[in-house]
Amino acid sequence: MAKWGMVIDLDKCTGCQACTTACAMENNTLPGESWQDVLFYHQGKYPSAQMKWLPRPCMQCENPSCVHVCPTRATYKDMDAGGIVFVDWNKCIGCKYCMIACPYGVRFYADEKPLLEPDLRDIFPGSNGQLWSPPYQNPEQDWKRGIGIQPAGVVSKCTFCYHKVSKAPAGTPDLDEDIPELKEYVPACVRTCAPKARFFGDLDNPESQVNRLIGDKHGVRLKDHTGNKPQVYYLGAGAGVPAFEPKPRS
Amino acid sequence: MNQENIIKGPAGLGLLALSAIVLLASFGYAITSLSSQGHAAFNATSTVPWGQPIATYLYFALASSGLGLIASLPLVFGFRKFYPVVKRCIFLAFIILISGMAVLALELGNVFRMLWVIPLNLQIQSAMFWMGVFYLVDLVFLLWKFQKMDAGEWDSKTSKQVGIGSFLAVLLASGNLALIFGMMSMRPFWFDGLLPIYFYLTAVASGLAALVFFTYLAHGFSRDNMSAPLRNLLEGALPKFFGAVLGGTLLFIAVRAITGMYSNNPEIHLVWSEYLFASPVYQASLWLGILLPFVLMLMSSLRTLAGTQVLVAILVFGGLFAERFFFVVGGQVIPLFKGTWEWDILSYTPSATEWSLTVMGSAMLFTLWVLGERLLNLSAMPPETVMRGNADEAAATAHS
Ligand code: SF4
Ligand code: SF4
Repeated sequence: MAKWGMVIDLDKCTGCQACTTACAMENNTLPGESWQDVLFYHQGKYPSAQMKWLPRPCMQCENPSCVHVCPTRATYKDMDAGGIVFVDWNKCIGCKYCMIACPYGVRFYADEKPLLEPDLRDIFPGSNGQLWSPPYQNPEQDWKRGIGIQPAGVVSKCTFCYHKVSKAPAGTPDLDEDIPELKEYVPACVRTCAPKARFFGDLDNPESQVNRLIGDKHGVRLKDHTGNKPQVYYLGAGAGVPAFEPKPRS
Repeated sequence: MNQENIIKGPAGLGLLALSAIVLLASFGYAITSLSSQGHAAFNATSTVPWGQPIATYLYFALASSGLGLIASLPLVFGFRKFYPVVKRCIFLAFIILISGMAVLALELGNVFRMLWVIPLNLQIQSAMFWMGVFYLVDLVFLLWKFQKMDAGEWDSKTSKQVGIGSFLAVLLASGNLALIFGMMSMRPFWFDGLLPIYFYLTAVASGLAALVFFTYLAHGFSRDNMSAPLRNLLEGALPKFFGAVLGGTLLFIAVRAITGMYSNNPEIHLVWSEYLFASPVYQASLWLGILLPFVLMLMSSLRTLAGTQVLVAILVFGGLFAERFFFVVGGQVIPLFKGTWEWDILSYTPSATEWSLTVMGSAMLFTLWVLGERLLNLSAMPPETVMRGNADEAAATAHS
């Protein structure tokens, strides 16, 4: 079985948020429930102030603290699914301990105050047990893997587009949108990335392009000191997270 | 002996009616807003997922553990002076835990599902799994111990064994509850292997506050209505013990604050400097809710007075509730990995629905307590304690 990994080249990323939009369209997430987001940071002061940004999916950690804390095994790492970390919506009790334990802040409890008004959940009230039901939604659904639109009271997160990735022919080293026969299997964020800053492939396959990129271009994992060991690697200058600083008080 | 439990009279009926009305009203309000808005009725969000309902649960669960620990003073360690409060302690520990669990139940996304998914999946890696196990064991032991006492079995071999079992269950339950927070290295404000000790200390402090308050309330805030051994305890060992526990609590807070402020790690020191110490509510709860009670309990002329003890109990209620709240929220106010989307310390103030859960838990506690005082004899103690207490008092009177 493959071990799916993502490589994000920050030297190419323009911070355009196309990936974020593609993810929201693909997975029908609510505003603020950004399974994929681009984070912007500023660091330093004039004359050496910097603006940096990095796209941030779930890191699908090798050693996922969200899985360790979940009291129900609703959150689990599926080694038969490329090591993707899923939330089983039939098991989650909504205790939110996983949200406390994830160092990357990539889990969402959408049963919260809406980020934007009017509340989409009021405009498109949920049917079939869903939190909301937009006029069009991705027909792919698998609640055992947190795919589709969630019911109330559970946690949701990025699934590495398992509903697409899982259909790729076995043994494919890289899912590259430039290969016509593979493009349907490529995660939405990777496929849409205009400057081709995102790569998706098998970290267990020595022939894969993702492995080559990590090796040749000094791939790093963010917040590596947490020991979570992401399956998402970053390339290029600026692959780091500045320490937290509060807003200057006037 | 002039013993009188005013709760057994009309005052108790009045209190029962009042607390039942508050319970129904707060529960009604919480359920209505939860069923119409879901958890959007809470101000907790994906960035601060644990809010006041969790802090309330923590406060109640630890007050229960504290009462359990106090009950083990006579039952496990032979501090016989504490016999006069032991039955009330165990009863209070039981109902406070139940009330806390009721609050937690309304906080969870899918509470009933818990009943089968937790036992069917046995995720022993999760501290929260163990929280369920240990608090369940704790509840069973509390009931068992209470039943032994109700049957007048104070000193039998089984009642001793149940007492020891219960003591261990309390230690495991509250120690593990501490580790739910203490093991989170990605939240450095909480990450602390000694957190169980801090939880034990503060648990006993909040347990003592509850015990003192409810014991006085049961006796119409007058020592004349109390039995001699109970009076002896309240004039002697108990206030000294309360003072020592509050001192330990202060010491622990001081050590955590000093290491926190000293640390360069912004995820710890900013919580202290920009959130805790920057909040007037936190300051007030620390100085008025913990330091002032400690000082009052140090003064030998004041600590034995009924009025001081009740005041200290009420101050400590507030002080430790705030301590729990700021502890829970403090671990989350530094945004994790959010960049400029959240470029300041996060803020969180509980919503009306979240407050209604806190009120509901407290009203439930009062209602169950009044029922307990009316239907059970919570002042019972072993016959030899009664005899010794009366003899001591007779000697003291003869002396003076
Ligand atoms: S990034 Fe967070 S949610 Fe994703 S696997 Fe790692 S710990 Fe879990
Ligand atoms: S919120 Fe759900 S997925 Fe997260 S720890 Fe709790 S039960 Fe597990």
